[in-house]
Amino acid sequence: MFARALRGVRQQVGTQLLSVMTVALALFCMGGALLALENAGAMVQRWGAPVRVTVFLADGATGAQTETLRSALAALPEVSEARYVSSAEARASLGQSGDRAIANAPVELFPATIELKLTPSSVTRARVASVADRVRRLPMVADVETYRGFTDRLHDMLVGGQAAVVVMALGVLLTVLAVVANTVRMSLAARMREIEVLRLVGATRSYVRGPFLLEGAMLGAIGSVVALAALALLFFTTRAQFETAVGAALGLHPVFLSWTVVLGFLAGGGALGAMGSAAALRRGLTI
Amino acid sequence: MGRSRVTNAFKPHFRPEGHYDRSAAHKPILVLENVMKVYRADAPVLRNVDLTIERGEFVFVTGPSGAGKSTLLKLIYLAESVDEGRVLFCGRDISRLTDESIPHLRRNIGVVFQDFRLVPYWTVYQNVAVALEVMGLPSRVVRSRVALALERVGLDGRGEDRVSVLSGGEQQRVAVARAIVNEPAIVLADEPTGNLDPVLALDILGLFEEIHEAGTTVIFATHDRSLLEASPHRLVVIDDGRAIEARDGLGDLGEVMRADPLASVH
Repeated sequence: MFARALRGVRQQVGTQLLSVMTVALALFCMGGALLALENAGAMVQRWGAPVRVTVFLADGATGAQTETLRSALAALPEVSEARYVSSAEARASLGQSGDRAIANAPVELFPATIELKLTPSSVTRARVASVADRVRRLPMVADVETYRGFTDRLHDMLVGGQAAVVVMALGVLLTVLAVVANTVRMSLAARMREIEVLRLVGATRSYVRGPFLLEGAMLGAIGSVVALAALALLFFTTRAQFETAVGAALGLHPVFLSWTVVLGFLAGGGALGAMGSAAALRRGLTI
Repeated sequence: MGRSRVTNAFKPHFRPEGHYDRSAAHKPILVLENVMKVYRADAPVLRNVDLTIERGEFVFVTGPSGAGKSTLLKLIYLAESVDEGRVLFCGRDISRLTDESIPHLRRNIGVVFQDFRLVPYWTVYQNVAVALEVMGLPSRVVRSRVALALERVGLDGRGEDRVSVLSGGEQQRVAVARAIVNEPAIVLADEPTGNLDPVLALDILGLFEEIHEAGTTVIFATHDRSLLEASPHRLVVIDDGRAIEARDGLGDLGEVMRADPLASVH
């Protein structure tokens, strides 16, 4: 069957090349959408999660308790820095704005805090909420501020953007499905005589169908390899420029498709080709 | 063409499991009983056709264009199915065969068409060998049988040529080679000379006569009077959807054939 499929490819090299390029172009668009989706996910992760938490200490918290808590918080993997800020330091910090009322206010009005800086790559919203909830119950803690109002709005905005990319990717997927199926169908249309002859001389449906499905799958898989190669070439040649221009400002390092997505993409290309062949053969096999 | 008729003994392997019915060897190769084929309810193409063809016969089927000659042949190789009646092939009713069995029937029938039905980008060898490859024969057997078939049709040594570079007559010879390469029980020819000039037409007819002399049953559909006159075989006329025997030559066919505007072309 494989030999017959290869013979079919060899005998119509021009048509097959054209089909591969058309499929590759369609899949290139699909790959671009996937790449956008993958990086949008990274952006949600980067900007949608809290990066700062303030632990307000209770009035009666002793120095030892405070230091124990600070050390414990600093040891968490998500925390990159845990700094104690006394009431006086808090007042001085706020007073730097030049507001005399703040500078002259009693120091008791400014509770001592532990300021946490989180590591964006390893923190999640759920984890921060969980830790904040536990810390809030400690006797030496008055309150915990995770600044969720801001991060939640940013997260919702980014998730909305991500959903838009998903919708676009689905649209591209449907277009790609139609393009691949029609390309394979046109490629087979030129070979309807071959199918007709095979049926005429007593070939079973499976004998006819097998090599054509294999050919369709090969066409789809080769098209997806070409599309991926082109996408990788474009991505790696422009990544440095992108990082300089936009990436640094956004704190985003664009990543290429993961191995699982790449493998799924190749398998999907093959499956699309085979499905296109199957659809085209439905007509031919009625002979 | 000194091939024995025994080599063409029909084995009705048209069930997937390869059932062999020995009694089939003693039955007429083809019987059409009360066959009806309708595309438009008000104008049946074939109506109540009764026809019996014995093993080893050469039968001309003629009639005006659109009379139903091609339809009759299609009912035999099951490109169409009957609406009423039965088609018995070696005693078995093929009009009720399942889709899975049809390929096995077709391996016992060679078909030649007016438009050759060859794959243009295949070589002569590939176009002929396909009839054996679908049966799963070893390549060594395929090679030797294709070589023999090409020799029989006068295309010895042309196996590597692409059919697209052959003349019309040569292409029809390739089609004939494909039809006979698996030594079928019956060869159906549907206007096989329609695209050929009169000399080539007679040439191709001669080829079918040689195949017939080797023991194969041949049904040859044509409306070319010159061929009917050139060869004294049994004649069946399809007229107004009915099959009429015309055993006494063309005399009683004049009116029917004159009604066919295309008859004068040949």
